Amino acid sequence: MNSNQNPPVLRVANLNVSYGSFKAVRDVSFEVQQGEIFGLLGPNGAGKTSTLSAIEGLVKPTGGAVFIAGNDNRKQPLQARASMGVQFQSTSFQPELTVSEIIRLYAGIHGISLSAERTAAILADIKLEDSGSKRFGQLSGGQQQRVSLVIATIHQPPLVLMDEPTTGLDPQSRRQLWERIEAMRAKGHSILLTTHSMEEAESVCDRIAIIDHGQIITTDTPQAIIDDNRDRPEVIRASRKGKITLEDVFIGLTGSAIRS
Amino acid sequence: MAIDNERPLANLPSAGTVLSSLLKADLTAQWRNRRASILVILIPSIILISWKGLVDKFGGAFALSNCITVGLNAIGLMGYTNAIARDRDKGIFQRLRVTPAPRWTIIVSRLIVQLVMIMITTLVLFYIGYQVDHIKLTASDYIFAFLAAILGGAVYLALGQMIVGLVKNPEMVNVTTRLVFFAFIMIGQFASFGMLGDVWGKVADWSPYGTTKNIIAAALTPGSWTSTNYMTLLANLGYTLVFTTMGVRFFKWSNK
Repeated sequence: MNSNQNPPVLRVANLNVSYGSFKAVRDVSFEVQQGEIFGLLGPNGAGKTSTLSAIEGLVKPTGGAVFIAGNDNRKQPLQARASMGVQFQSTSFQPELTVSEIIRLYAGIHGISLSAERTAAILADIKLEDSGSKRFGQLSGGQQQRVSLVIATIHQPPLVLMDEPTTGLDPQSRRQLWERIEAMRAKGHSILLTTHSMEEAESVCDRIAIIDHGQIITTDTPQAIIDDNRDRPEVIRASRKGKITLEDVFIGLTGSAIRS
Repeated sequence: MAIDNERPLANLPSAGTVLSSLLKADLTAQWRNRRASILVILIPSIILISWKGLVDKFGGAFALSNCITVGLNAIGLMGYTNAIARDRDKGIFQRLRVTPAPRWTIIVSRLIVQLVMIMITTLVLFYIGYQVDHIKLTASDYIFAFLAAILGGAVYLALGQMIVGLVKNPEMVNVTTRLVFFAFIMIGQFASFGMLGDVWGKVADWSPYGTTKNIIAAALTPGSWTSTNYMTLLANLGYTLVFTTMGVRFFKWSNK
């Protein structure tokens, strides 16, 4: 993780998102620094996806501002979108197109012209050298995630947004994806990911924010969050093995009731 | 994973570059769906061939204009609308919306593909009309009719846009387009033969089906152009404007 001397790649300031009278996101503020992996954790319906959607420009916030690489995503939407790459939880592409065609399409949208050789090299990089002519729907879940990640980063964006990237993946694919996320960070990308997995948050994220009922409860490194909350009675109550884990802190802070 | 090891930099492509990439993909998708495209052309072609005996009685303009209108209906309602509803439901538009593609390029690319379909269908029907039904027209008649077909096609694309704007569920969109398609064809065709009486005949004449058919028929015989044709043309443009406005106003990029 780089120092905070550089301006943040993502700055979310007092973000509010409402659906009718329901306030999904309330005054959420945080920053993601260059080369940082930042995790947004929260139970179902906590406001993670709404926050992410507002950053992506898919949802119109009722208040606040989002700056991506210095671009206000409301006033300079195209520049903001050109500065980010997005990996959705479940991605769909035109089913008529092959994997190679999809990669070339998204490269083209970002103004990058890919030769057949370059496309083949990209596919080889994600170990899909024989799958260029396959349709996206013919790939396994892990393979789809790899293609999706290539598309999200094909234009070398300063910021990569990932919505629960390892959901539904087997342990091997999950580990491989974590390595790829760390490799992206090494190349200078900043990553904001949402996750339900405490293991993922602890293993991959430099800092995390726990969000619940549309508000950020705490933001820090995983270890600092554990240390700061280990003596809280609700966290101790949530502890199952004597040793306080991030999951214990998460349950302690957000409650043990099942969310819909 | 990334293309190279350079430091990440944002690159804002021109709208032309984006449109060109989208268009290439959309044309490829259309080509891969060529069976459906052939069916869209086949329906009016079969009608035109089967009407060979009616050409002498009702005239070539009548047969051609009806069949082209059926083709335009199928392209706008079945092709364009259902593809938009499906891609919206699958989240394909959401994926495109987080890229630097201006939103208008996503729809314009789809419309251009349908415009190509309109042109191909019209040319195929001109050819069948000439070869099978022996409908002989001057070059200028063909050009006018070709332009009228594009204008008429716009009505159905706009109507499709309105349907996909007002109806969110892709299955409901499919049902609605089929119902509208068959209602237009049945009422339009029966009214053309004078089988529905004067009132329904008038209704059909001023419906999107009737105005499109009459504009194409008038364009096929430009010498017989009257003031009524100007009114029909205006009605046609009016439909396009109203449907487009509603289609854009109520369109949602996502079903969620």
